[in-house]
Amino acid sequence: MSGLAQRELFWNVPLPLKGALYLSALLAFAVFAYGIYQHYQRWQVGKPEKRPGDLGRMLQEILLHRRLLQDKLPGLMHLGLFWGFLVLFVTTVVIAIQEYLRIPVFSGGGYKFFSLIADIGGMTVIIGVVIAFTRRYLSKAPGLDNRTDDGIALLLIMLIALTGYFTEAIRIAAVGETAPAFSPIGVAMAAFFKGMSDQGLRGAHQGIWAVHMLASMAMVAYIPYSKLIHMVTGPTNQYYANPQSAQTFPLIDLEAEDAESFGVSKIDEYTEKQLLDLDACTRCGRCQEQCPAHLTGKPLSPKKMTQDLKVVFEERLKAPKPLAAGEAAVEAAAADDAAEERPLIGGVIEEEAIWACTTCRACQEACPVYVEHIPKTLELRRNLVLMDSAFPPEVQTTFRNMENNGNPWGLGWSKRADWADGLDVPLMSDVEDPENVEYLFWVSCFGSFDERAKKISRSVVSILQAAGVRFAILGTEEKCCGDDARRIGNEYLFQMMAMENIEVLNGYGVKKIVTICPHCFNSLRHDYPQLGGNYEVVHHTELIASLLKAGRIAIDEKLKKKVTYHDSCYIGRYNRIFDEPRQILQAVGAELHEMPRHGTQSFCCGAGGGRMWMEETIGDRINITRSREALALQPEAIVVNCPNCLTMLTDGVKADGKLDEVAVLDIAELVAPALKR
Amino acid sequence: MNIVVLIKQTFDTEAKIAIKEGKIVADGVTQIINPYDEFALEEALRIKEKSGGDVLVVSAGGEKVKEALRSALAMGADRALLVETEGAAVDEGIVASALAKAISGLSYNLVLSGWKAIDDNSAQVGGRVAETLGLPQVNVVTQLTIEDGKALAVREVEGGTETVEVPLPALITAQRGLNEPRYPNMRGIMQAKKKELKVVTLSELGVSGAPQVAVKNVVLPPAKQAGKLFRDDVATSVAQLVQALRNEAKVI
Repeated sequence: MSGLAQRELFWNVPLPLKGALYLSALLAFAVFAYGIYQHYQRWQVGKPEKRPGDLGRMLQEILLHRRLLQDKLPGLMHLGLFWGFLVLFVTTVVIAIQEYLRIPVFSGGGYKFFSLIADIGGMTVIIGVVIAFTRRYLSKAPGLDNRTDDGIALLLIMLIALTGYFTEAIRIAAVGETAPAFSPIGVAMAAFFKGMSDQGLRGAHQGIWAVHMLASMAMVAYIPYSKLIHMVTGPTNQYYANPQSAQTFPLIDLEAEDAESFGVSKIDEYTEKQLLDLDACTRCGRCQEQCPAHLTGKPLSPKKMTQDLKVVFEERLKAPKPLAAGEAAVEAAAADDAAEERPLIGGVIEEEAIWACTTCRACQEACPVYVEHIPKTLELRRNLVLMDSAFPPEVQTTFRNMENNGNPWGLGWSKRADWADGLDVPLMSDVEDPENVEYLFWVSCFGSFDERAKKISRSVVSILQAAGVRFAILGTEEKCCGDDARRIGNEYLFQMMAMENIEVLNGYGVKKIVTICPHCFNSLRHDYPQLGGNYEVVHHTELIASLLKAGRIAIDEKLKKKVTYHDSCYIGRYNRIFDEPRQILQAVGAELHEMPRHGTQSFCCGAGGGRMWMEETIGDRINITRSREALALQPEAIVVNCPNCLTMLTDGVKADGKLDEVAVLDIAELVAPALKR
Repeated sequence: MNIVVLIKQTFDTEAKIAIKEGKIVADGVTQIINPYDEFALEEALRIKEKSGGDVLVVSAGGEKVKEALRSALAMGADRALLVETEGAAVDEGIVASALAKAISGLSYNLVLSGWKAIDDNSAQVGGRVAETLGLPQVNVVTQLTIEDGKALAVREVEGGTETVEVPLPALITAQRGLNEPRYPNMRGIMQAKKKELKVVTLSELGVSGAPQVAVKNVVLPPAKQAGKLFRDDVATSVAQLVQALRNEAKVI
């Protein structure tokens, strides 16, 4: 026996204690299973929703902590806890295999390997707990709020790790270790117990072993009844996440005769996946630390909204009224007749919070468990707009303007193509062979009517002409794409405008569209197919980059300017166009300095989700917050890819009196004057 | 409380006005409810919501006016009536007598309309209808209270306001400031499709006669001329400016 690295399993554990382990394990797993079943039942309160899953994404998130590590320290903390526990769990399973199946996996090389990784795993768990404890209770990291179960969970984990080390150390002190190099911490700790009597060691070992075992079982049982449920709901949510979330929203059948209401005003009008979201949220606060509304003092925090919805969800479950069939397991606790269901909107979620969202998607990008905040907020907006015509009063004018003139300002629709006067831009209605038009140039409301943004349209025209691209515009036949209407919640107006646009586009047999507006881009690309508009849509930055690459246009004189580049939400996070604009900047010779928040973590200009048409009266201005981030780099120009961002950041720079020094330019405006002709 | 609201369909305020053969071209122009009539409708809906009753919205015009009436129904009016005038030569007088005739047989407590329409600005119809029906009228009203069979109306007068009390039934014309018209919700839009929209013709109403007013000509305002810049030295420029002001602009 000697020579082979191994140890006696269940050393010093008498049969009754072993029996107690099995009994408590049985109990713990029963309590665990019941709790999980309860959660599963709860989600069924929501509307059924079929979703494909993505196992690869789930495994990547679990094992590599892709999203958790976007935030370094807390990411590492979780990595330590997770991998430590995983290793300890696997080691326990290996021991069980040896014990019950009599397969010698925990001896010799296996013993050395598992002893070592378990020793390290215990340490990473302890480090994780220490970091977590410090962030929660000492440094009080922003985004975190403390509840009882946060503390209990940390204490339990710490107790399990420490008692684990102690049982190991005492065992080693009593009977030695066959492979001391592979249990470095246990061996080092064993030194403290040198000199204790064998009986004393055995007594202490039994006591601590019992605590270790009980704490472990308590934790198993505790999972479904505490934040630890995220071990189950997190991966489930990652599996079922919709990678296209918020790019588009479910189409409402507005003609449905039996529709009693639209949008969501009661918690059970959400889908089962949306209710699962509420159980997956672990209150880590990463979302609100990215949220432009929250960071500028608006009454919106994606974390708070999720948690508030969860409160209503739990109240709903306790409500005395009978649940739908098959939900009997959800016990209608203590029939309290007074427990009236609180209204979601106004009662729980402030209307101002609902309107504060810019739909920038930074929260969803940050969430480690892929909670989908925006679609839930949009359903609340839909309810407010479609059922009660309740929205910030200034928006009514915007709606009316869109209805009457197809643009948010209400400028006469007949002037929509005036920007192109004298530019030799063909109208689709004048083109003899529309099928030979390569790209329909979708000009957008801004590009058509806004004096500043018209310059982007003209720049794009000169680029397309220089490249010899056959293009045409719809002119006065183009209408607002409806993106803002839809994201404000006015599905009726959106569908009205989208259907008219689609009729015109399909009438000309349009196949490819290029646009300067990321909002039109996203809507044409992701919303329009729902209504029969299927086009290949490109953003002008993509087209310019490809024209440069193909050599169809060339840069004459490099501009040696120090610039920073602002990723718009709808081109960046929503549609992952990060490289093309930077390639263009490189091609024109701009010296790019990135802002701290760029790429997937770019900070919204404040205009999205219809915010462009709402007053911003609470807190700091989002656009100024962003323009200051850019100005801090002391660039000669702030380069954007979106007319909304152009407006917002220009206003921001103007507010600081810096417009004489720093230009805010669309990327096309850098390219057009630099072209070789 | 039964309320009748008179509305007119007008061009959108941003509509491009084109003239062909002395007439305004309506093709492709966005049509809206005259904004002043919208104030009247909103006020009617608020009174109804407060004290119950029925809101009938009445308009005169062609087939296209049905869109305006449906919009009014979507906002919350209960019924609509179109006085069909397609093809007939009408002026404010004929329209007013037709509207008066159309509602004369109905039981109503209050008639509301905008004080004028934004297209021709003639401000005739409200007053004429009130006179024809023998109703007391208060015009250009910015605040209205209905109580105990009376209407208490605050109206704009030069440099201030005046509060007028009239017994019901009465006719009130609305001015901007009376209220903020609502945006129709989906329930309203869906119900509007099912609500009653009756059509009567001028002959059914027994309204005939030739218009008393004829439009002789319609012209667009002259296009704005580009400004004139004098770029010589100051002395010459001033001399040229004075000459231009005297001889071209004829203002000095």
